Amino acid sequence: MKKFWFLTILMLGSAWTSISQRIETGTDRGTLGVRIAVPEFQASGSDPKTTALTALFNQVLWDDLDYSGVVVLVSRSFYPVGRIAAPGDVKPEEWTAPAVDAQFMAFGSTRIDRGQFTADVRFWDLKNAQNRDVLQPSRHRASDDSEAAARLVAHRVADAIIEVIGGGIRGIAQTKIAFVSVHPNGIKEIYVMEYDGANMYPLTSLKSQAVTPGWAPDGQKIAFTFVPPKGPPVINIVSAIDRRPHTFQLAGGSVTTTPSWSPDGSQIAFATSRDSNDGPEIYVADWNGRNLRRLTISPGTDISPVWNPRTGREIAFVSERNGPPQIYIMDAEGTNVRRIINDGGSAQNPAWSPDGQHIAFAWQRRGGNFDIFIHDLATGRNTQLTQDSGNNERPAWAPDGRHIAFESNRAGTSQIYTMLADGTKVRQLTRTGKNQGPSWSGYLQ
Amino acid sequence: MRFRATTLRLGLLILMLTALFTISCRKSPAAPPPPPPAPQATPPPPAPAITLRADPLTIERGQSVTLQWETQHAGNVRIEPGMGEVPVSGSRQVSPASSVTYTATATGPGGTATDTARITVNVPAPPPERAAPRPEPTATVEELFRRNVEEVYFDYDQAEIRPDQVAKIQSAAAWLKQNPNVRFTIEGHADERGSQEYNLGLADRRANAVKQFLTGQGIPDGLIATVSYGEERPQCMDQSEDCYQRNRRAAFTLQ
Repeated sequence: MKKFWFLTILMLGSAWTSISQRIETGTDRGTLGVRIAVPEFQASGSDPKTTALTALFNQVLWDDLDYSGVVVLVSRSFYPVGRIAAPGDVKPEEWTAPAVDAQFMAFGSTRIDRGQFTADVRFWDLKNAQNRDVLQPSRHRASDDSEAAARLVAHRVADAIIEVIGGGIRGIAQTKIAFVSVHPNGIKEIYVMEYDGANMYPLTSLKSQAVTPGWAPDGQKIAFTFVPPKGPPVINIVSAIDRRPHTFQLAGGSVTTTPSWSPDGSQIAFATSRDSNDGPEIYVADWNGRNLRRLTISPGTDISPVWNPRTGREIAFVSERNGPPQIYIMDAEGTNVRRIINDGGSAQNPAWSPDGQHIAFAWQRRGGNFDIFIHDLATGRNTQLTQDSGNNERPAWAPDGRHIAFESNRAGTSQIYTMLADGTKVRQLTRTGKNQGPSWSGYLQ
Repeated sequence: MRFRATTLRLGLLILMLTALFTISCRKSPAAPPPPPPAPQATPPPPAPAITLRADPLTIERGQSVTLQWETQHAGNVRIEPGMGEVPVSGSRQVSPASSVTYTATATGPGGTATDTARITVNVPAPPPERAAPRPEPTATVEELFRRNVEEVYFDYDQAEIRPDQVAKIQSAAAWLKQNPNVRFTIEGHADERGSQEYNLGLADRRANAVKQFLTGQGIPDGLIATVSYGEERPQCMDQSEDCYQRNRRAAFTLQ
């Protein structure tokens, strides 16, 4: 017994030493840390709305680039004086001088053209006089002149820039996040918002509890757990486009929950207690609920399955088979089960990175709060991303593999945040009420 | 010995016969001769008098009252209702079910006299005799179910039946055995700590632990459905151990 404790302490100690180590997850690919200048785009034309929409466009573009994790934005206070709207306004040597020291520069103009918010965009390599245009000069036109239109154009411009200098990995500015909004009366509905927290709207209005949303890879459907007013929790699927329900055949049992789409969108892994007297087990079915196959048989709860999104051939899940909940991986047929977190405590909410190399999870390692960690499957190393900031749970990867959304009560009530996969650039997306359980969409365009 | 007993019996018989004879002899001369027309000198017989008292005058239903009466010059006393002929003076315990006026009538050679005593009986507003029969038709199966099949509480992060909860489930099983047609659902619940997903599993295991206990006591499996509500249906929302405990439960509902 004494030996056991000694070992435990040793293990905890060695785990702690790795906390401060940074993880490299995608943020190390492409031209990282490159310095970009983004002088404000200049409004032109006579439409009185242009000024306000342009200010919004400039703010959104700046934030998109700033939170991308790919570039360093040079502060505008260092910029040369003067308005920059067209190539003739730019003196590259002023922008590459030590005070600014920018490598690239995005600039252009905006206007409302026949009721459509429009941006003319240049993206220059300031240090390459022969070939300035990193992106072809482009015109981005929205379908109207609303605020949403100005935001959409900014997201498109940001994504184009990120893709060209981010190692070919697309930007996520046009992705969305589904989450659970908790109403004061205990009702929970699935909501959807843009990746930066803008334009949130309810997807369900079931007047009960709708939890654990999961985007289908096609971005058109969301599976979730519906807890009806009376009766066992079941899996529902709803169209993210028109909110129409899709049928998912009942599995039966006292609970069916935590649906997760296979990377090709044809199957759903989930947990149900239909054949078990001792906690739910993991099953896979076609995405209409038919052709059910049981994958686990073990004492206690097996729940929260997630597929390896790159191969579709492995499933990570949470199991109590050896005591407190821990994260395991099995082959998609249910064979070859192995435990991946071995440092004790309670490890839950596995989220498999898009490249298949990491599993983010929530870990209550020594009692106390949950924090987000990343497990590197190749090295077995666990890296802590959040600390000393309340409970941090339910990580969800963005499709770029650089960002993670999660739930935290660091500000009092649980809210949705995003961060880079190294724990930096934390951004709070929701602020009112109580919001939980984010699921990040794939690329929607 | 035999002889002596016979003699004794004989003696007794003679004695009894003599006594009988004596009584009948006394009676017969008094009754038959009709009194001759009153002689002038004889005074009229005095009128009878009677007093009837009740103590106390007011009672609750079920309590008793002492009736006490005294007469003068009465040969015969009746008290109504319900008592009939009574001694010319005396007392008796009565326990009327509702308010009543007793009338005592004294009859004597001088005429009759009456007295009355009113007893007020308070009947409780919802009479206990009535309350008892009422539940029989209205104590629905649902009410009886709720009274006899109580919630089971669990320790933090545990789905094992706690020793202090066993008696409760056993008495639930006893009632369920007497009511074999009752189909019901066991709802598992968890407090808000721990992850929402994990709590759906934990609450499922709690519901199943209670189900297994009941089937072990002989309740047929087919009567019991289970539901896990995880932490989605809390009884209370505050973040206190008291509230957490109330939420860590298995609850029962009729199907």
